[in-house]
Amino acid sequence: MIELKNVSYTYPHTVQPALHRISLSLEKGRCIMITGPSGAGKTSLCLAASGILHHEYGGKMEGEVIVDNKNVSVYKTLSDLARNVGVVFDDAEAQMIFTTVEEEILSALEHRGLSAEEIEKRLAEIMKITYLNELKDRSPHNLSGGQKQRVALAATLALGNDILLLDEPTSELDEHATVRIAGILAGLKAQGKTLLLIEHKYSQFREMVDTLVVMENGTVTAKGKPEDLLRDERIRGMVLPDFSTFRKAAPAPVTAEPVITVNNLSHSYGTIEALHDVNLMIRKGEFVAIVGENGSGKTTLVKHFNRLLSPSGGDVIVNGRNVKECSIADLARDVGLVFQNPDHMFFADTVRDEIAYGVKNLAIQDAGAVIDAALKDAGLTESAGLYPRWLSRGERQRLAIACVVAMQPGIIVLDEPTTGLDGYEARDVIMMLRNLQEKGHTIIIITHNRDIARHCADRVITMENGRIISDTGGA
Amino acid sequence: MAEILQYVHKDTFLHQLHPYTKIAFIIIVSVMCIIATDPAFLALMGVTMLAIAASGKLLAESLHQLKLIIVMSVVFIAITVITMPNGETLGHVVPQAVPFIGGLIPITTGGLMIGIVLTLRFIVLIFAFQLFLISTQPRDLVHAMEKAGFPIDYVLMFIIALRFIPTLQIEGQRIHEAQLARGYNPGTGFVGKIRSVAPIVIPLVSNALLRSNVLGLTIDMRGYRTGKRTHVRERVFMKRDYAVFAVLAVAGCGFVALVLKGILV
Repeated sequence: MIELKNVSYTYPHTVQPALHRISLSLEKGRCIMITGPSGAGKTSLCLAASGILHHEYGGKMEGEVIVDNKNVSVYKTLSDLARNVGVVFDDAEAQMIFTTVEEEILSALEHRGLSAEEIEKRLAEIMKITYLNELKDRSPHNLSGGQKQRVALAATLALGNDILLLDEPTSELDEHATVRIAGILAGLKAQGKTLLLIEHKYSQFREMVDTLVVMENGTVTAKGKPEDLLRDERIRGMVLPDFSTFRKAAPAPVTAEPVITVNNLSHSYGTIEALHDVNLMIRKGEFVAIVGENGSGKTTLVKHFNRLLSPSGGDVIVNGRNVKECSIADLARDVGLVFQNPDHMFFADTVRDEIAYGVKNLAIQDAGAVIDAALKDAGLTESAGLYPRWLSRGERQRLAIACVVAMQPGIIVLDEPTTGLDGYEARDVIMMLRNLQEKGHTIIIITHNRDIARHCADRVITMENGRIISDTGGA
Repeated sequence: MAEILQYVHKDTFLHQLHPYTKIAFIIIVSVMCIIATDPAFLALMGVTMLAIAASGKLLAESLHQLKLIIVMSVVFIAITVITMPNGETLGHVVPQAVPFIGGLIPITTGGLMIGIVLTLRFIVLIFAFQLFLISTQPRDLVHAMEKAGFPIDYVLMFIIALRFIPTLQIEGQRIHEAQLARGYNPGTGFVGKIRSVAPIVIPLVSNALLRSNVLGLTIDMRGYRTGKRTHVRERVFMKRDYAVFAVLAVAGCGFVALVLKGILV
């Protein structure tokens, strides 16, 4: 259905090729999963295979891309190509143009030259297989990440092509939502659809993947049946990372002084109670993981630690001070918060300036040395002069952590620090956090990854519906 | 979070009207409130808008804009009082007892009146346009605008501009929080204020540009710009639309008659 013959590609205004001599063949009814570190060229490959690079980007293309037995250059426009290939991009929000779920899918159906009855029939069918019926009148900003991904997928299915290309459809989803997407895709494959899937989470998709492709530095470094490739230890570490080696011999001493104490904390957004009577004590030097499904109140809880949110009821005490009596700027010295999407913070021209921003804001002494140390810890010394947005996702994640670490807070809180990273990159991030813990920092991470929570943290707190339902370190 | 100008899905008389009917309503209302200068009449129109909103179960959404409206009213009235003194003097912003500058900026009936009329006009216009946008499904709007001969690219641009308001609001909020956690300090003084904008605006614009790339590809791949479309669930003119047109015609004629008699202006 799709064939790439010795394809190399260089984006306009760049020198380094993004894709280098790639040959790949996707047969009807099969599923290929492409994996590899961030910045390896996986998205570029997806754009090449769908003909988008050829039709929209310009740049230098060598080799041949064949879609449905025709070279992509034979198709006149992208809309022509779209009759054969459906692409679900990673940013679900950007793929919603209308303001209700049903409208979005209906509008996509209307442009296919079907009869009105046929459209209604397909609409019902698609809503059913993507489980969107109860959400049909919702607007995009009232949907969770997983629901948005299902809408993006449904609207692409509406185009009715047999080939589907999906670029990290589950990167920001929790386990439950990921399993749901995997189930939908398995159903589509069973119907005879051909799938090209860019993913890091092999374990949830293992049942349906026929061929595993590993990409590194713009080229395919391994390709074959998953069970064959996974015998290679290096590839195994990338797609099925083992975090169990992180377990420390002795957990942090329970006698250390408390750095965060939460008493009867409640928080409401309007009439919705997001946190309900939460009690918690975290001691200096602990490595705590907070797990729970999307919407269980994890992010709401940690935003109280540096007063981005103020309690509706109860108290939060950080280093002996009630946060109600501190300003956000004050608390930034004690608590560093790294958000899920690193791109929400970058604005400087260089990596170094980006780190310097927080350091300057807090007027930290000996700034030069502090910044150098943060660069080194993040493994970004060589990239200090680059534009932050040019870095790969893994590097940007480490930079976001470095920006906060350089501000020297005793407590570092991270919201989903391994999103969109492969096994090795995730390990790098965890390693960085482990080192910080050894230097005396208290680390709190929010994660969907149960392996990371179980093996890397000293203590796992599970939240559900705004409450803590279990705590392995119950102090 | 208040969702500015977003379609609110409900099943009411107002929602079921044809977009053309609502556009006609907007045009008539706009013309009326621009011509009329009688504050009592304009206030009545404002109340009518709210009554219509209530009939469409959209009163709460309409009142979301109250804060904006109050701020706007104060600014308008202040500007007209200061710049358009006319008629009787009611008092002075700076009391006459103050030495040297006492008696500056008189508050006049004329200035006050112009301010009130301007404010009421804007209130009516804001309510009317908002009512139109939040009760009309974007799809219907696209169809109506396309039929009216607008090029599809412009129609999509209009729809997308509205659709992404809340997305940008939420994103701006997240960026603001991320920078606050890094000790972001909204600057003081003119230069400080300008500088303090960079950490918020640069990520917001960079992310929006990235997003617009995906959005553009999506529009092309779904074939929205080719214009070939099967018409499904199209709104057709119903009895209710004719009824509204009749009401609008009567109101329009009545208005013209009153204006010709010299009432309302």
